Amino acid sequence: MENNQKLINSFQEALGLDTSSIVDSLTYQSVPEWDSISHMILISQLEEDFNVSLETDDVIDMSSFAKAREILAKHGVSF
Amino acid sequence: MRLIDRIQLNEKLRLIDEVTGKSYAYKDLPNVSWPIRERSLLFCYLNNSIESVSFLIKAFESQHVLVLLSATLTENFKAVLESTYTPNYIYDASRSTVSGYKLDGASLHVKIIASNLVLHENLQVLLSTSGTTGSPKFVKLSENNLLANAESIAAYLPILAADKVPLNLPIHYSYGLSILTSNALKGATLLAGVQDVMSKGFWDNFQKYQYSTVAGVPYVYEMLDRIGFTKMQLPSLRYFTQAGGKLRDDLVSKYADFAKEHGKLFYVMYGQTEATARMSYLHPDHLLSHIGSIGKPIPGGRFELNEETSELQYEGPNVYGGYAECVKDLSTFESPALLCTGDLAKVDEQGFYYITGRSKRFVKIFGNRINLDELEAALSNRFGAFYPCLGWQDKVVLVYSTNTNEDHSQIVTWLSVEYKLHPTSFKLRTLDAIPLTANGKPDYKFLLSDYEGR
Repeated sequence: MENNQKLINSFQEALGLDTSSIVDSLTYQSVPEWDSISHMILISQLEEDFNVSLETDDVIDMSSFAKAREILAKHGVSF
Repeated sequence: MRLIDRIQLNEKLRLIDEVTGKSYAYKDLPNVSWPIRERSLLFCYLNNSIESVSFLIKAFESQHVLVLLSATLTENFKAVLESTYTPNYIYDASRSTVSGYKLDGASLHVKIIASNLVLHENLQVLLSTSGTTGSPKFVKLSENNLLANAESIAAYLPILAADKVPLNLPIHYSYGLSILTSNALKGATLLAGVQDVMSKGFWDNFQKYQYSTVAGVPYVYEMLDRIGFTKMQLPSLRYFTQAGGKLRDDLVSKYADFAKEHGKLFYVMYGQTEATARMSYLHPDHLLSHIGSIGKPIPGGRFELNEETSELQYEGPNVYGGYAECVKDLSTFESPALLCTGDLAKVDEQGFYYITGRSKRFVKIFGNRINLDELEAALSNRFGAFYPCLGWQDKVVLVYSTNTNEDHSQIVTWLSVEYKLHPTSFKLRTLDAIPLTANGKPDYKFLLSDYEGR
């Protein structure tokens, strides 16, 4: 599966959002579904799906869907 | 002397808005004018913004009876509460109009035809037992309850006037309110508009404002662990507190080790809204040797174990004056001699208490208390069938259905909206029939062991 689609699926699974709303401009706390609690669930989901280990800075920097792609790229995931 | 009078005496008390960086002394807080002079019921829909914190402090100056509520409640639930209690004042920044009320000032809605409620003279604050979730049931607290608990907390926590205290827990909830009142009593600097611990802004402001302390319910400590709190360099942090449910023993140990290594103090505390907030705390000196303990009663409080049931009971000046479920309940205020906590406990030879179980059916998910019997009633009202519910390790609520044809995601969605919890907090499971005990009640023990053995 293409990694971008995989990332959309991870977001959908963790945040319970419709895929149509999972776009680059989707930002942390801009929707009720992406709050601090679901953020923690999202982080675990991404670690599992992409087999990476996210550090403190990654967790608190992940402020948007676009940023998530950037951070995963830093961990060697190609988009 | 009232709590607010004691707070006003502190000339050092400051309120800082992290959003604008502006600092306010008590005298700088905007005054609120009250068109209805009589002592009235005042609904306060609050968040942790400077406006909310400032309004709450000014509301404490008035003689009104304050009902503290989350600003994020659904419109629907707000309407139910307002028609149940007919408050004369509604503070709500999120609505520009409220039917039957006229707007006075920025966010204060005043009832056009004032209702004449009988409010007991001791009644000062009403708090919801469940945080953000939907129940019109409130805990009745007096001026004396609030003052006594704030003084007791201020006596055992190492609060200093020089402290910078982020209000990082909701102030409409007993723990968050107690942080506000106890620190204000000591004249500390309170920070409003604080972001959550998962945002970068929280950590930037931690350094910028040099936070002295952090407070959290168990899931906050789960998050802090996730982002590597114990590996951070936080020189300004002197002490941190945990309450609002049981934190996993391995995490208590981890934070205890971190505190010891870095010369910080970690306070594990226990309480409930019916005791205004706090009933006991574990002194950091005894933390590592008593992992899992809720410590000893706070100054002025006393525990007693029911000999037959082992239920933990508490006596102290912070014990509430009963519940309110309708307007009529606002005219009474009767404090029980002993508060029955609903928790089962044991005590060791040195007087340290440990919670061993619960006598009432409720779960605490992400800091929100959910009464499972009430949840079953709500589901039955909404979906017209009996759905037995039970909690698993304060992590998920298991909801059982015997109808295989219905759309289960619809129920989970309704629950997560209504209770403001992540959808993964609810697990819907299907059964052919609900297992019953010998006396015809749902066999929750069987369901739980069945789930655990899945």
